[in-house]
Amino acid sequence: MNKFALGCGGLVAILVFIIVVCGLALMGSYNRLVGLGQSVDAQWAQVQTVYQRRADLIPNLVNTVAGAANFEKSTLTEVTNARASVGRVQLDPNKAPTDAKQLQEFQAAQGQLSNALSRLLVVAENYPQLKATENFQGLQAQLEGTENRISVERNKFNTTVQGYNVAVRSFPTNLIAGMFGFAPRPFFEASQGAQNAPTVNFNFNSPAPAASPAATAAATP
Amino acid sequence: MRAFVLGSARVPRVGDCVSQSLKVGWARRQVQHPRRVRYLILLAIALVAGQSSAAEVIPAKPANYFNDYAGVVSKDAASRFNEQLAQFERETSNQVVVAVFPKMQSDDDVAAYTQRVAEAWGVGQKDKRNGVVLFIFTQDRKMFIQVGYGLEGALPDLTAFDITEHRIKPHFRSNDYQGGLAEGIDSILKAIRGEYQGTGKTVLEKGGTAGPGFNLALFLFFVVALIIISRLMRVMGGYGYSSGRSGPVFIPGGFGGGSGGGWSSGDSGGGFSGFSGGGGSFGGGGAGSSW
Repeated sequence: MNKFALGCGGLVAILVFIIVVCGLALMGSYNRLVGLGQSVDAQWAQVQTVYQRRADLIPNLVNTVAGAANFEKSTLTEVTNARASVGRVQLDPNKAPTDAKQLQEFQAAQGQLSNALSRLLVVAENYPQLKATENFQGLQAQLEGTENRISVERNKFNTTVQGYNVAVRSFPTNLIAGMFGFAPRPFFEASQGAQNAPTVNFNFNSPAPAASPAATAAATP
Repeated sequence: MRAFVLGSARVPRVGDCVSQSLKVGWARRQVQHPRRVRYLILLAIALVAGQSSAAEVIPAKPANYFNDYAGVVSKDAASRFNEQLAQFERETSNQVVVAVFPKMQSDDDVAAYTQRVAEAWGVGQKDKRNGVVLFIFTQDRKMFIQVGYGLEGALPDLTAFDITEHRIKPHFRSNDYQGGLAEGIDSILKAIRGEYQGTGKTVLEKGGTAGPGFNLALFLFFVVALIIISRLMRVMGGYGYSSGRSGPVFIPGGFGGGSGGGWSSGDSGGGFSGFSGGGGSFGGGGAGSSW
């Protein structure tokens, strides 16, 4: 009888131990997921900030360029329209998108603006008087800096999302992620528009992209 | 401008091209594989290829504030610049590093590449993120000022552009590297002075005193633990080692681990103040010029 009670007690102790260990592991995983999700959101806010920074520069740029004598109006309206369509795709700046389609729309709108802006700057090359002005040079430096920031923050965002997604998908964290509804997050993809954009960059004495000869070589055999 | 057009376009291109050529080669050799497996393997290859797309070298962390890897300024001037920058960190805690390379070790745009290098070096204090790195690539005739997050207000892109374009570039055009660097450094320091307060010590100087101290504590802890254990063993009446002998045996090991970090000024020579990054981070702020 005594022995039996002792055995029962031991079993209960072992069970309690297992439950406690499992609970601790669960808590640890859950907290890690929460932390990773937070850093994704924080990085998303950072991405939004730099895109906003670019959008804020545009009115000033348009004004400066419009002041130049007989500047091509179509490129200007293109920028203004793209800026407006960016404004229409509003995502929550404090919460990274969970829907891949949402992010794609956002990215498409921003990509359109990127294209319009780069075309504007290319066209501006034909206006030496405009290019020489202090105001335009300053705007150009700021715009370039903003584009650099965008690419940096986008890369950081992708890295952060990757870390989060790996945690969400790998065993055994994926069980906890499933239980508490942690879904994988979408990240930025290199858009088609961005790939097609640099067709007009002969003005910038940049090296020709190495991809095209290699691609044709691979396709011919 | 180049960053602007190509920034987002380059990486996918290389990856695409690689996967394209792989797809062709693969399809010719392994037709019997089921479609899905092949697709998965291709995807994996494309992912790996995409990640290592640019054959790029991130240079090792510099040992000094002023690093002339291209040999364009005199030794005297280099040590003077170095001392100026070290002193600046003592006074303001801002870390300003100058790196003169012969060539860029990347196919990417200078702005994107130097951001990654600056971030990898961890220039600036971790909490203030107040680092600035002036990169010069003499053969590429390019330069770039990378500005850490915490100094983007004091040294905005416009100011950085003004410094590279109007302060440094004219000197470089007439092959006066020393003069250009002197004016560039002065302008950078002038812009960011007053943003943060210094502690009178550089990161390396702080680390130099903290490191051995910590190791000494650890070492003492081990000695005490050892003594207690040997005492316990003797009390328990086993084959206790005499405490007199076990002490000295452990001392060389403990010290060997503790004094390993003295890489600061030894290899740079000439009484240089060594540099050690504080873990700052960079968000692509800054500007550059080519000459």
